[in-house]
Amino acid sequence: MARKLPPGFEHPVVANAFDHLEAGRLSKREFIRLAALLGASAASAYALVGLPAPALAEGALPFPPDDPKAKAGGVLKVAMQVQKLEDPATFSWVQMSNQARHTLEYVAITGPDNVTRPMLAESWSASPDLKTWTFNIRKGVMWHTGEELTADDIAWNIKRWADPATASSNVGLSVVAGLLEDTGKKDDKGKPIMGLSNGAIEVVDKYTLRLHMNRPVLSAPEDLYNYPTAIVHRSFKAPLSDNMIGTGPFTLGEFRVGDKCVLKRVTKTRDGKDFNYWGGKVYLDEIAYYNFDSDNQLSAFASGDVHTLYDFTVEQLDLAKSLPGIIHAARTAQNICCRMQVDHAPFTDKRVRQAIVMSVDNEKVKNLVYGEDGDVGENHHVAPVHPDYGPLPPLKRDVEGAKKLLKDAGFEKGLEVTIDVGNTDGPWHQTACEAMRDQMKEAGINLKVNVMPAAKYWEIWDKTPFGCTAWTHRPLGTMVMSLGYRTGVPWNESHYANPAFDKALDEAEATLDVAARKVKLAVAEKILQDDAVMVMPIFRPVYTIVAKNVNGYQGHPTEYHQFNKIWLT
Amino acid sequence: MLKLIGSRLLQMLLIMGVISFILFAIFDSDKFKKQIAVNELGGFAVSALSEQDYQAWLEKKGLNVPFYQRYLNWVAGVAQGDFGKSFEKNEPVADLLATRLVHTGLLALWVFALMIPLSLLFGVVAGMKEGSPQDRLTSFISVLTTSLPEIATAIILTVIFALGLRWLPPNAAMVNGWDWRALVLPVLTLVLYDFGYVARMTRASMAEVMNSQYIRTAILKGLPYRRVILRHALRNALIAPFTIIVLQMNWLLSGVVVVEVFFQYAGFGKLLLDAALFGDIYVIQAATLVAVFVAVASQIISDVGYTFLNPRIRFA
Repeated sequence: MARKLPPGFEHPVVANAFDHLEAGRLSKREFIRLAALLGASAASAYALVGLPAPALAEGALPFPPDDPKAKAGGVLKVAMQVQKLEDPATFSWVQMSNQARHTLEYVAITGPDNVTRPMLAESWSASPDLKTWTFNIRKGVMWHTGEELTADDIAWNIKRWADPATASSNVGLSVVAGLLEDTGKKDDKGKPIMGLSNGAIEVVDKYTLRLHMNRPVLSAPEDLYNYPTAIVHRSFKAPLSDNMIGTGPFTLGEFRVGDKCVLKRVTKTRDGKDFNYWGGKVYLDEIAYYNFDSDNQLSAFASGDVHTLYDFTVEQLDLAKSLPGIIHAARTAQNICCRMQVDHAPFTDKRVRQAIVMSVDNEKVKNLVYGEDGDVGENHHVAPVHPDYGPLPPLKRDVEGAKKLLKDAGFEKGLEVTIDVGNTDGPWHQTACEAMRDQMKEAGINLKVNVMPAAKYWEIWDKTPFGCTAWTHRPLGTMVMSLGYRTGVPWNESHYANPAFDKALDEAEATLDVAARKVKLAVAEKILQDDAVMVMPIFRPVYTIVAKNVNGYQGHPTEYHQFNKIWLT
Repeated sequence: MLKLIGSRLLQMLLIMGVISFILFAIFDSDKFKKQIAVNELGGFAVSALSEQDYQAWLEKKGLNVPFYQRYLNWVAGVAQGDFGKSFEKNEPVADLLATRLVHTGLLALWVFALMIPLSLLFGVVAGMKEGSPQDRLTSFISVLTTSLPEIATAIILTVIFALGLRWLPPNAAMVNGWDWRALVLPVLTLVLYDFGYVARMTRASMAEVMNSQYIRTAILKGLPYRRVILRHALRNALIAPFTIIVLQMNWLLSGVVVVEVFFQYAGFGKLLLDAALFGDIYVIQAATLVAVFVAVASQIISDVGYTFLNPRIRFA
């Protein structure tokens, strides 16, 4: 039964979640995350459950507090791939977004504690049915042009994402998908053209934006920190690198693809006035990204060329431990998804897919590659680290069962399949696939591991019949399932289409009761697991290393760089 | 001689024309255009674009015109020093290429400056007395360094001198400005690989000369051994190594890819690999022209040098 909660926790979902918290069915951290999503202040939520809140900057800004010892100045040097900056709405690499993140900001920001707080919005609220979301835009946020950010700017960006001509993956996010309806028209590929519903985006006044969705959406603020949702100025024209106007404290200085991307502090607006950054003090003079391929980033750190790096792989962990620096490891939902296209022979036969899945021992593969670190995947893409994860019985390898299924499917003499691997997150992809290959052999499956350059893999990731794709961390299980497995969504690389799954996912997303939502999501997980669409053996931790003279660094599970309060000694 | 140089240059222009035409034709396919689109816009964006929007993108990039027209435009541009604009890096290819060639040129300069005297010295000393301890030692070192792939040499040197002893930087990206120390490991990797090959060729040539009649006669005549080697043997023994050394310029241009990528050195090889992976046609074209130029130029130098070293050789 809901009890009286302090102001800010009025939303019925929050009250319901609090009941579950008291009954021990919900963890404190999950409650804080949920309360913050639904408009409560994160600090109050921490206080309510009796956990120490991470300190925030003065004025409840969504950044760590200012360190009294902090010294201004210096250049933070980072090893990362320096990539093209075209259109933020079509960014397909986190690295691209990191290059732009301190210039283009987001409506919300998810911190290293997995709690989402207001950023360009100063607060938000959701209707009891989670279909209407009201965002109060922060006052006094200045564009580099000197203009003030308004609700119209945010509305313009959301409309742009929804426009099919933009070709943004943001249409797969619940917050955008909930605003769309079928226009009744079809494109030249026969796909239905989706358009914004009438009145879906309402600009209430200069600082208030309301989104009217056609289904309940719990993840709206979290979606608005997904990396391609950076807010651009209304004068934006690709490529971004030609004219980077944002609201952040840095702008593009030097930029050469494959070489370096130097961000410099903004002190004056384009029309020569003083630029006042809304987010308080920023200490660094410059952030300089230097291009290093993933294999070479640690050597750049070892040589003292850079202060930190994007990430390093598990194979480099021992070397990293020998270096003078602080290693940050974050538990994440990043994974490899060895998915089969269900409309491509021999994977059209569910028994073949099930045989492949059954022949692999996910735990052994995970332990071989990551040892004690990371989580074992359960072949449905929702990770234990997701707050809406519904536990299922542990998977068991069944070689005899796999053999029988293959025989029934007409492959009694064995099955030959090839998996394409791009090692896009490092050579551990190949290691995992080779371990799978060795296990599959026992079941009569001859798996060929076709290794190709990462850039080549990204050309075919959604086309290859059997491919090993790296998926980055996303804060919710429903979010990743909506992006990757709902019928007809753009990132549905397995071409999976199951109305029963879609229905289960809809029901999970529409369930406001947190504990019931986990149960509902477990139904969707089970359907996906039984349909054997993928082998997902590993949820990997991400590792990075930071020099000891860098203060205020916090590792982020999605590898999003948040350097506003970093300072150097 | 002038006729020879003229015919070689004509040959070079012909090869450049044919190769660039073939490359243009290959890169004109829908597959390659889509590859550029995927690399620029992301896989999802391309699959989500309508045909009309995709055509608009092709037009914006100038990829919608027939390839022969693009080719002619490109040839006209090249004649004026304009090699087009890189799709990946969004800057003029000529600027990009010039910077990278200077970097690779510096690398090559150091490689040749060390490799030539070392390999000639070891090769000549080994060839002077076949089967002697110095001959066996040189052969062993040569075979060892040549049989190790560049990548393995690069890893071994990095582990020992950069990560172990910490004497040298493990990469040559030089993010803090030009640093000669950063060149040591890439240069050493290339020198070690190339040294063995040239030393063995020099040794073989020297050994052959030392077994020839006129050298035996000179020795039997009682000429001082030093004089026999310096005045009579060396000049003839160096003809074959000279050709090989000049042709190493050509090898170096492709050989640097592995070394430059491993050490993150911003040179011609790394540029070529990046362009190939991206499908950056104008960079690939320009790099190909450079490669053809170097190949033909090294051949001309080799031919001309031959005539000076061996007056019996004359080209019709």
